[in-house]
Amino acid sequence: MPTFTETAKATKKKREIKLVGIDMYIITEKGIPKFDDIGPFKCEFISNRGTKVWPGFVSPDLLQVNWYRCRFMATKEVQDAEVNAFLDALTKKGWWWSAAQKLWNYDGEAGFSKAY
Amino acid sequence: MGTQHVVTMLPGEGTGPEICEAVRLVIDASGVNIKWEYEDIGLDCLEKYGTLLPDKTVQNIAKNKVALKGPTTTPIGTGHKSANVTLRKVFDLYANVRPAKLIPVLKRPWDKIDIINFRENTEDSYAAIEHMVSDEVAQCLKVITWPGSYRIADFAFKWAKEQGRKKVFCVHKANIMKMTDGLFLDAFREVAKKYPDIESGDIIVDNCCMQLVRNPAQFDCLVLPNLYGDILTDLCAGLVGGLGFAPGANVGDGCAIFEAVHGSAPKYAGMKKVNPSAVLVSGVMMLRWLKEEAAADRITKAMFAVLDERKHVTYDVGGTATTDEYAQAIVDKMHAKA
Repeated sequence: MPTFTETAKATKKKREIKLVGIDMYIITEKGIPKFDDIGPFKCEFISNRGTKVWPGFVSPDLLQVNWYRCRFMATKEVQDAEVNAFLDALTKKGWWWSAAQKLWNYDGEAGFSKAY
Repeated sequence: MGTQHVVTMLPGEGTGPEICEAVRLVIDASGVNIKWEYEDIGLDCLEKYGTLLPDKTVQNIAKNKVALKGPTTTPIGTGHKSANVTLRKVFDLYANVRPAKLIPVLKRPWDKIDIINFRENTEDSYAAIEHMVSDEVAQCLKVITWPGSYRIADFAFKWAKEQGRKKVFCVHKANIMKMTDGLFLDAFREVAKKYPDIESGDIIVDNCCMQLVRNPAQFDCLVLPNLYGDILTDLCAGLVGGLGFAPGANVGDGCAIFEAVHGSAPKYAGMKKVNPSAVLVSGVMMLRWLKEEAAADRITKAMFAVLDERKHVTYDVGGTATTDEYAQAIVDKMHAKA
């Protein structure tokens, strides 16, 4: 008789995974970052503490810290190697980043949340 | 009539509009001078504006800086953002103030409960940073910042000092989440040094839950990160009589929005049978915020008297009165005492 762990692991379904973008976590004291397109990646939004600060209205009262989540979406089909090139390019432009998170679609559905 | 206040009224949807009309009837009869400006929010806005929170509503709140809000519903699974959470984000309403005080006529197993919860309202695992990091692993970032933690603690201590409260405690799980809850606790301790006249301390969240149900009288003011605050504020509401009597305020440096925390009960919409007390006591909080203490006291006394008599109370507290009849009974009681 299988254990609960074995039963649980056996329920895993095969899902199609597709790379569609990158969340970059940028540290800066200079306010909301601005980006040109970098290779096939275009900045879609920037959030701070989970609240969208670009594009669109930002309350003057909003507390912002020095850590921004910058979402870059691919404008064409991309592979992992293009992420490596993107990270190199971003670093060369002088951006200091704490982490990068690849964004994947699973069976065509986004595996990542939007910002408020 | 004293100073006129201009307040944005957000009736919401479901039973919200009928509740807010009843509350307005009571507040207007309390002797306070309020000009109400009505704005739309919630599900009913979707068809009209394509959003739960129209820009026109945002602009009006930004102008008036104070609002009273009825209940709204967040559609599940449709991708629409919660109007409540969006309001908190747009106006950076970082302090969710949730008092829990025994209402004398609602019989409860405790002699005394008088707690004010200060829930951090904008950070923690509510930062909407979630990823499927592999096809079998989901991850949610818990974001705690120093300035976010510092300001909610500072807000709580200042409120406590102004209200003559004695103790402020930080609720956390820093023994396990040493970085995130540790930072929250460090900021709290830093702030506590500025208020030497108020007793401060901390308690681990699981112990706090047990202590709350065993001996709630020991607590005074609690400062909590967002997720623990979400849970413990409802626990405290349950201790004193349920969400039907629980007031709430979402406060930022720029404005304050007062609201009940219960849902919009759409199945009762139009039946005028629901209890408007939670929005009413939120309105009382708003009056105190506007420094209209006398009007707030009048409403509170009259409401307690009506509840005590049990003649004109709604079905949830054993009566048969409609929403309007209950509100009118409070108005009559205020006038009778005048």
